[in-house]
This record gives sequence, structure tokens and C-alpha cells, in this order.
Amino acid sequence: MFELERELRGLGAALDFPETPDVASNVRRHLPERRRAAWPWRIALAVAIAVLAVGAGFAVPQARTAILRFLGIGAVQIEFVDRLPEVRPAAPLGLGTAIDPADAPFPLLRSKLLGNPDGVYRRGDVVTLLYGTPERVRILVTEIAGSHFTPEVGKKLEATGTHVEFVPIRGSIGPGVWIEGRPHVVLFPGGPPRLAANTLIWTNGQLTLRLEGAASLMQAVEIAETLE
Amino acid sequence: MYKALVGRPVEDAELVTRAQQGDVAAYQELVRMHQGIAFRTAYLIAGSSSDAEEAAHEAFVKAFGALGRFRRGKPFRPWLLAIVANEARNRRRSAGRRHALALRAAEEIRPGDAAPSPEAAVLGREQLGVLLEAVNGLSEEHRLVVACRYFLDLSEAETASVLGIRRGTVKSRLSRALERLREEVPAHV
Repeated sequence: MFELERELRGLGAALDFPETPDVASNVRRHLPERRRAAWPWRIALAVAIAVLAVGAGFAVPQARTAILRFLGIGAVQIEFVDRLPEVRPAAPLGLGTAIDPADAPFPLLRSKLLGNPDGVYRRGDVVTLLYGTPERVRILVTEIAGSHFTPEVGKKLEATGTHVEFVPIRGSIGPGVWIEGRPHVVLFPGGPPRLAANTLIWTNGQLTLRLEGAASLMQAVEIAETLE
Repeated sequence: MYKALVGRPVEDAELVTRAQQGDVAAYQELVRMHQGIAFRTAYLIAGSSSDAEEAAHEAFVKAFGALGRFRRGKPFRPWLLAIVANEARNRRRSAGRRHALALRAAEEIRPGDAAPSPEAAVLGREQLGVLLEAVNGLSEEHRLVVACRYFLDLSEAETASVLGIRRGTVKSRLSRALERLREEVPAHV
């Protein structure tokens, strides 16, 4: 271990941390007698994930860009493919035109955890709230009007290397979908395909929502459940 | 000496499974096992004992409600600490303050404290004060990454969960923070 690191550990041992209070007893008073076990939900998820896994496991050597399985969440269509389409390195975000939030085609949802966005962009019925800058994106929240009959946003996933999970989201009609692992390709209407980071997709009323850039599933769900 | 409750994966996994099946007593045992590290993590971020206690309490209650989303087989502690850190950040933001860490009084030994570690014996009290001043003078993101790794003894993965960043960012941020400290405390150049 390097000298400075040893000294920092020594410093940690000499710090004046307050004594830990008895959190356990206080927490116990705020919990129900028994937690409601969510077995039916878990079984449903397991079945859904199994169906996806079977679809994703097929090899289609003849068709190099074959769609192995697709899945619709509101206005977003997720396609499992054996190979991602070509994406230009450092492709632009393709979020559309910067607009005043008041000019959005529908009332926008906001999260108190994120505060006011640094930019709002519109491309048709797709509005994106940007946190950070276009060059250094922290979080993107995309709000999409439309139904699964007319998908507005497409996502292409490699069948292997990308983890897909159904997650319950409070306020969402059905489960949300968490996409994690290797970057996947996202296609906005009329925009260039680009690689996307970990993403949560879910529905809220008439809107389909997409959150990109959360560090973890827990953080993504927490933000999702505070959008109002 | 600071006594981290080192993760005990097998026991954690058993208790989490029981808690997910509705066993509140099992969850309370989990809280008891992790309340020390949860409280200290919250204290580092929130900056006051009362805010840290409130944040840890709220985080444990929320984590109980979210147990259905916890993926079995994954370590419980990083998941829990991410919730704790969020709660602590919310309280720090509303209070809008930044606290400075301080050294314990030289003679103060708490019940259950172990003998000073070899690391603790490396520096004298005056040198510890100089090093602490340098840590307190770091930017908030550098101070927190140093505190998580060396004061709380969190792993890289746990530090990433607490700070809401990727493991690679933990490494690079820590490296920059150590560079800055070496500049500030010339003995380490």
C-alpha cells in the first residue's frame, strides 16, 4: 500500500464520527408486522424474462441483421438483433430543436430529484429534457406521446451482452424495462442512430418515458417514481 | 477505532431472502448489521448527526419497501448504501451546507474501540491534523471519494454506488484527489 493511502486510513481511524444511533429499533416501529411477499409478480417477471431469453438466444447466421424478437413498451419498440446497425462515432444526440418548455406539445413531467433541465428539445411528439450539456450529458429524460400502434422511438439491442429486466414502477400501468450492459442503439424519428447508455423505459398515463444515464437501476427507478 | 461492519454475504443473502418473504425480524437484523456503515455514510454526505440519523432511518424504511426489486445474488450493502446516499444528499441539498471532518480528542477512547491499527500509528497527531486539513480543503467530489475509500473503507463498487458514478470514475477521481493531496502535503511528493 502506498504511504499516503496508509496515512489516510490511519486518519480515518482518528476521525470524530458521532456514535451510531439505534436506527434498527426506530426503523422496526415504522414497518408493518409482515412484508407482503410479491411472489405472483416475481413469477410473472420470471416467465416474461424467460420468454425474452429464449428469443434472444436464437442464432440466425443467414440474416446478419435479423430481428430476433421485438417488444413494445408504450411508444417505444425494442428490437433484439444479432448485430447492431452501423453507428457513426460520436453521433450527435439528435434530440431535435431547442424549445421553451411552455411550447411542448403536452404538459411535461418533471422530477424533483433532477430539478429544472438545462435544455428542452423537441422532435415531433418526442420531447427530451437534457441535464448537463450536449457534449457532457448527465441525464436524458425523453417524454413521448403515442401508443404502441405507432412507435415513435426504436431501440436495437444485441441479443447477447445486453441485460434486459422488467421492473415494477409505481404509477406505471405495466412494468418498466431496464436495459443495462453493452451500449445499445437508439433511433429517434428522423434522427441519426446513436449508441445509448443504461436506460429505463416505462409508461405514465398517456406518455411513454425513457430515462438514460442513471448510474444504477435503483437511481433510475427513484427518479422515475418522482416524475409528476 | 472505526469498526466497519464488514459485509457478510452469506448471512446477508439469507436475511434478504427471508425479508423478501415477509420476515420483518430478519430485516431488522439486516438493519442492525448495517446501521453503522449506513449512518457514517450519511454523516459524510449530509454533514450533521441528526440529518444522518434521519437519512439512515428513511433509507432503511424505503429499502424495505423496495426489497421486491432487489436482485438476489447481488451484494446487499452497495444497494443499501446507494439508497442511504440519496437520502443524505436530499438533506444536504436542502440545508445547503458543507461540514468539515474533525479529529477525535486525543484521549477519547470509545467503549469497544480496538487498539490503534498500524496505519493509525503512522502519523503523529499534528501530522494527522495537516492531512485532515488538506482533505477538508478538497473539492466536494474529491473529498467524498477519499472519505468513502479510506475513512469508511468501502470497496470501489460500494463507493461507486454511494456517489452514483461508475467504477472507472471512482478510480480516476480518486487518483486526481490523491495527486492533489500530494501537492498540498509536500512530504508525499
